[in-house]
Amino acid sequence: MADVGRHPNIELLTLSEVKEVSGHVGNFRVKVKRHARYVDEKECTACGDCVEVCPQVGPDEFNFGLVHRHAIYQPFPQAIPAAFVLDMETCLGNNPRACGKCAEACEKHCINLDAVDSDVEFTVGTIVIATGMEPFDPLGMTEYGYGRMKNVITAMEFERLASSGGPTGGDIRRFSDGKTPKSIAFIQCVGSRCEGPGNSYCGNICCMNTIKDTLLLKDHWPEIDVTVYYIDLRAFGKGFEEMLKRSRQLGVRYIRGIPGEVEENEDQSLTLHVENTETGLVEQHQADMVVLATGVQPRAEAHDLNKLLSLQLHPEGFLLEAHPKLQPVDSPVRGIFYAGCAEGPKDIKETVTQASAAAGRAVRLMSQGEIAADPYTVEVNEDKCKACGLCLKVCPYGAFEWEKGAKAEPIEALCAGCGTCAAECRFEAITPHQFSDAQIVAQVEASLSQDPEQKAVVFACNWCSYAAADTAGVSRFQYPANQVLIRTMCSGRVDEKFILRAFELGAPIVLVSGCHFVDCHYIDANRQTVRRVEKLWDKLESWGIRPARLQLEWISSAQGQRFQKTMEELERLRREVTPREIAHTRRILKQKLHPPKPKKQARRKGVAAHA
Amino acid sequence: MPDTPRIGVFICHCGTNIAGTVDVEKVAEFARSLDNVAFAETSKYACSDPGQQAIQKAVAEHRLNRIVVAACSPRMHEPTFRACLAQVDLNPFVLEMANIREGCSWVHLREPALATSKACDLVRMAAAKARLLEPLSVRKYPVKRAAMVVGGGIAGIQAALDIADTGAMVYLVERGPCLGGTMAQLNKTYPTMDCAI
Amino acid sequence: MPEDKAHFKCLRCEAEFELPYTPGKLEERECPKCESNSVRRLKTPPTGQED
Repeated sequence: MADVGRHPNIELLTLSEVKEVSGHVGNFRVKVKRHARYVDEKECTACGDCVEVCPQVGPDEFNFGLVHRHAIYQPFPQAIPAAFVLDMETCLGNNPRACGKCAEACEKHCINLDAVDSDVEFTVGTIVIATGMEPFDPLGMTEYGYGRMKNVITAMEFERLASSGGPTGGDIRRFSDGKTPKSIAFIQCVGSRCEGPGNSYCGNICCMNTIKDTLLLKDHWPEIDVTVYYIDLRAFGKGFEEMLKRSRQLGVRYIRGIPGEVEENEDQSLTLHVENTETGLVEQHQADMVVLATGVQPRAEAHDLNKLLSLQLHPEGFLLEAHPKLQPVDSPVRGIFYAGCAEGPKDIKETVTQASAAAGRAVRLMSQGEIAADPYTVEVNEDKCKACGLCLKVCPYGAFEWEKGAKAEPIEALCAGCGTCAAECRFEAITPHQFSDAQIVAQVEASLSQDPEQKAVVFACNWCSYAAADTAGVSRFQYPANQVLIRTMCSGRVDEKFILRAFELGAPIVLVSGCHFVDCHYIDANRQTVRRVEKLWDKLESWGIRPARLQLEWISSAQGQRFQKTMEELERLRREVTPREIAHTRRILKQKLHPPKPKKQARRKGVAAHA
Repeated sequence: MPDTPRIGVFICHCGTNIAGTVDVEKVAEFARSLDNVAFAETSKYACSDPGQQAIQKAVAEHRLNRIVVAACSPRMHEPTFRACLAQVDLNPFVLEMANIREGCSWVHLREPALATSKACDLVRMAAAKARLLEPLSVRKYPVKRAAMVVGGGIAGIQAALDIADTGAMVYLVERGPCLGGTMAQLNKTYPTMDCAI
Repeated sequence: MPEDKAHFKCLRCEAEFELPYTPGKLEERECPKCESNSVRRLKTPPTGQED
């Protein structure tokens, strides 16, 4: 920590939140809100004169509220920056100033009660997300009595209790009476591997953390009777099994079975009702103190940041990596990397390993001086552009120069290549490279050139639904062979005319598929998909074509099974479309899409004749 | 815009991954019947060195200017085949892949006839698009040699130090008043049983 | 009918149901029965249901 504080290349911004990120890999522009500390970080010597005069106290977050701290405080003695901080929520207030004793007491005049929040802006080439974890809060699991029973505590509270810097100076004492407990019970998997109020996944660190605690207890308080209740013990790392073995040798009892209920006795000790799955008996055990080995979950506060950076979340709430095996520290957004528990529960060694890997990946990108990007930008045909500005309106990146009455000009550096502008343009003035109207229509036509009534045409976005099709393939999920996929970078690229062309050529069913809203790789380009599909449903209905023949599905890259199910359902829907219905649709679309316009044609002919 | 499209179609066996289900020779024969297809052949492993060399050789011999590779997902080997084309001075973006593995042979294992006919459709679609492909050039961006690390726990500290030690500037953004995160709250840590701070 | 709810129909399984709705807001909707996203708002509520 101290190394960070004095590193010439590190600017440490505490009490800070990322508010805005724009740009792209190589050139992210970041805006950070820095909350006022009210104490000059550089001048403060942490002498403590201010604390002595502070009349206000609040719960000490560092010690999980087990003790109190003053409104002006240092989170813990070794904290970096080694400066005090004033918590305005606890303080009597600065506007109007109610007290101000701390500022008077500070001889170096480090305290400025009029300090205000500030914005800090900078540009970076890469970003590492290391927003970490928070322990599961067991208040919702009423069977353990946490919050009601004084001697039921969490594993993190136990850490503070056992710490020499903690509320008891490192003495293990009961909260109810301050006595050293004669027996301590650890309950594993609290909020992990369960249905209901907890999380479904394994917390990864809780088994080893408990084993560590039992060793600590047996080393310092061998007389305390220690019991661990578990489902199974996961001591899978290097040297871990040895620690478990030592714990058992020191007399720690391991009982396979998770207590169904904890009851408080009159002396505030506890009775644990547990089905011992080794004996098959329901047993009652006594303990002076119960420690809940609570699981690990991603920090709730990180959600806004993830949204800001268009990062995807695993169903469990942790960050989704670009590839679970081959790119475990890369995010799906180029130039953004993951380190630590934000990506999944892990212990310190794994966290350090991953952080170094993330740093290595970031440095690799930055060391080249420049990076190459796919040329999937767009071209605007000036002759066709009618200066309506709709392209800019739907562009998630604002990647057009446009003013009322002026032709649109794409800004290549900002364009990410979703192509939703081209789907929106009514004048066919926009051509996305590699995904032009002509190229996609050619694919539609080729897909339906034989036995169109047997096919369902599926538009799939590169990042999610097409990737889900790949996942289905890798997993060998079988589905009917009647669908043909057309890949676009984003579902927002899918133009109404592609869909209508497919129906015109006799397609029974068309599916537009893309990323779930939160996963869109182009910020929110797939909102345009919804808007267009909803509009087209109305249009189809008004033309006497069943809207259900146009389907819409959000499938994330991990949802291979959902892709398979969708394909099966498409086939069911396809079978319901009769040849008669198809013929009827073709007739309607022929009329609607190519209406005879004798007058106009005549005029055009006239012009041609003049020329 | 180069001259008339001369499409080369390469159908990969992928060992038995594709050829075990899809009749690849039949697909090659079908490809030869398509407009503008000047050459079509199968390849045991198109992505292997010999497979790539065969593509490069055919490009020269048959003056191919559009390439269709019917193999795995473009999300897998598109970069491989683009690089292969660049080596023989063909623009990497005149390539279109037909996904006949993840999108066909692997998901229709029990229906070889239908899988073969779907593979033909996918090749026809790829050729139709390839016909209209145009050379493009890769965009290059300067990269700012600075990083932002969000979070000042053990993960953020380690990442920040590693990056900063290479000479790049690091902005370490922490929500709380100090570094340390959850780790700093731990008394002792395993497996070393030492202090967390 | 309350303003923040509307009738929807699933275009895959044909189930009809009520979901939160804000005019003009684009949302990800899922059929509560079959999980499809092919969920269309019915502009006229189904007959027999008076709100």
